Amino acid sequence: MKIALVGNQNSGKTTLFNTLTGMNAKIGNWPGVTIEKKTGIIKGTDFELTDLPGIYSLSPYSVEEDLSRKFVFDENPNIIINIIDSTSLERSLYLTTQLLELDCKVIVALNMVDILEKKGLIIDENKLGQVLGTKVLKISALKGTGIEELIQEIKKPIDVEQTYIYDTNMEEAIKKVESSINTSSLHKRFLAVKLLENDERFENISNEKIKNIAKELSQNYDTDLEEIIATERYQFIEQVKKQSVIKKETEESISDKLDKIFLNKFLALPIFILIMFLIYFLSVGVVGNLTVDWITGLVDIARENIGSALSKIGASEWVNSLIVDGIIAGVGAVLGFIPQLIILFVCIAILETTGYMSRIALLLDKLFRKIGLSGKSLIPFIVGAGCSVPGIMGTRIIENQAEREMTTILTPFIPCSAKLPIIALFSGYFFGKKSGFVSASLYFLAVAIIIISAIIMKKFVFKKTNNVFISELPEYKLPNMKYIAKDVLDKVIAFIKRAGSVILVCSIVIWFLLSFSFKLEYGVDVEKSILASIGKSISWAFYPMLGENSWGAAVSAIQGLVAKEQVISSMSVISGLAEEAETANSMFQKGIFNFFTASSAYAFMIFNLFSAPCFGAIGAMKRELGSNRKVLKALAYQTIFAWSLATIAYQIGSRLENGTLNMANILIISGIAIIVIKVLSGMKKETKNGCRNCPYSNSCKEHDNK
Amino acid sequence: MKKIGEICNLSDLKVGQKAKVIKINEDNRVVRRHLLDMGITRGVEIMIKKIAPMGDPIDISLRGYELCISKRDLQMIEVEVIR
Repeated sequence: MKIALVGNQNSGKTTLFNTLTGMNAKIGNWPGVTIEKKTGIIKGTDFELTDLPGIYSLSPYSVEEDLSRKFVFDENPNIIINIIDSTSLERSLYLTTQLLELDCKVIVALNMVDILEKKGLIIDENKLGQVLGTKVLKISALKGTGIEELIQEIKKPIDVEQTYIYDTNMEEAIKKVESSINTSSLHKRFLAVKLLENDERFENISNEKIKNIAKELSQNYDTDLEEIIATERYQFIEQVKKQSVIKKETEESISDKLDKIFLNKFLALPIFILIMFLIYFLSVGVVGNLTVDWITGLVDIARENIGSALSKIGASEWVNSLIVDGIIAGVGAVLGFIPQLIILFVCIAILETTGYMSRIALLLDKLFRKIGLSGKSLIPFIVGAGCSVPGIMGTRIIENQAEREMTTILTPFIPCSAKLPIIALFSGYFFGKKSGFVSASLYFLAVAIIIISAIIMKKFVFKKTNNVFISELPEYKLPNMKYIAKDVLDKVIAFIKRAGSVILVCSIVIWFLLSFSFKLEYGVDVEKSILASIGKSISWAFYPMLGENSWGAAVSAIQGLVAKEQVISSMSVISGLAEEAETANSMFQKGIFNFFTASSAYAFMIFNLFSAPCFGAIGAMKRELGSNRKVLKALAYQTIFAWSLATIAYQIGSRLENGTLNMANILIISGIAIIVIKVLSGMKKETKNGCRNCPYSNSCKEHDNK
Repeated sequence: MKKIGEICNLSDLKVGQKAKVIKINEDNRVVRRHLLDMGITRGVEIMIKKIAPMGDPIDISLRGYELCISKRDLQMIEVEVIR
């Protein structure tokens, strides 16, 4: 038996899904957490349950609604569980009125009944079921109450009875249309309503007769049938509510009180900045760095001990090298960052589950509008600080296509958790006490790049942005520790799995390419290895930002495409196998990477952070942008932008370092640059205004045409 | 401040004011349907609840729940002030 779980955004669908199936799908407290359907088996049965994205209606206009509609029509579920946030009954029942038009058993599950009392609401579920013509049950998905009754109800035999909700004119017209649909398809009443609404997706089954019925009917009203049908649905719901709900007056809710602080005109922005700074300070800054130092110390000890143990038991030299210099160096280099990642993931999970994230979207919407984005773009950006993939998928909550695509392209600019190791390693070594300041500067740079890129894209690519913002504001909730723990654990396990699979394999491959020459001789000098030859053919591309033809840095940066933390793994393996200096206790003291200076380290970080993201994120971009061409354009843009910025940073930085450039020079050069830009843009304007003033007018072809 | 009985757009109201929807003037079919789906239909009573710190979007309360909506969309909703 197939069962579909349908409900509004943020109604607790996924929580119920997890409770019923025992699975652990992601939940949060912002509208739109579930973006793809998920399927599981209800515990103790063989019923297949599908969790669909949250929708408010079965209109054809949004990606999620379309997906849910397709599911109902193509998969023909036997039962629909319509989960309802019982604290917003009226709005939720609107979707129910549409589901009841399908030829399908609908069970209404009133969720969150445990907080009804606090809101001064009393719902008579039997009366409600009577008026709706279906079974209504009270549940709490979070606390697990009413779940057993729900499963019992699913097992009962299926009988569908029709509920009539419209006025007589409309009902008659629906009946006429139903009999004119000449397909033998299911859901005839639903189709009839959609045809009267003039739904484009069902245009193919419409005919002259149906169009005439709609035309005749619309003469009774002063607006289109789409509006009339929506209005009559809500009028029906108002009647239903009068019969089954009692509302008592309540005091101001806690959410309203909290919003007086968090959305206060003067406090909102400072609070937001403070919270962001706190997250940064805990995960990337001081606290995070402490944990990393501690773990990398442990990895070093393990490396020494395992190395000597292996030689003691008589393992041959190459086996020892493969394990110590290949696997432990590569995998260990990224495992050290796990504590830092845990802190970051916890912070993001708290933002997601408390309901504050929706407030940030509301707070910054007006600012984001100015650069062509939506306030909701912020949610993908924040989620993207953990990982770009869910961030990019989260862009679906944005209504406008242009804003959605822009956000998809911009999300990878946010340094994700896999880029954290790069930031921590380089800024920790090269900037010592200033490392906190340096890593913070990279996050500010990310914000600046996003703003600049958004402005560029708005100007040249996506001209059609609009100002639509329609979103529910969820109530504040205390973070659920159990779910946060599960969520964080999932992400950490995913990271460890990646270290044990992708990073492990890459480390072995890198070790192999480093230990052998093209003639397959083992133990050659790394400079003569296969990897060095490959690297030397591309290292020129990195010369402008490193000031050195480093094949080691070049091949490592390219591997960022596999996973960003692989950059660090690769550098660790390469430096481990390279000629060792006696006193070297960091990869940057060894011959192969000792060319790095503060400025080239900073430039190298810029390139790795802002160039094309890993394959995982590229795949997500492909899914959201839809076409290979758009993805390639986006990747080219990201990489060229990152390369240019890195080069500029190095060229300026290195001159500051060796004193050939000082602040005065920079000011003079930028002054000249501004004048040049002004003059050039002025010239462009003149050509636009007319060709007469243009010095090239005589030889210009366009001039002849004007 | 708009007086009781006055006809205006929803965007003209201050926090705490209440109005009854007369007509939706939105031409874009997608946005219009979205507004209808969220319960903004003729005759419904809407209260202005909160305003975002920068003045836009605006949080309105209707049908027992809260909806954030941009000023531009509120301009498309013609109402009669009732409080």
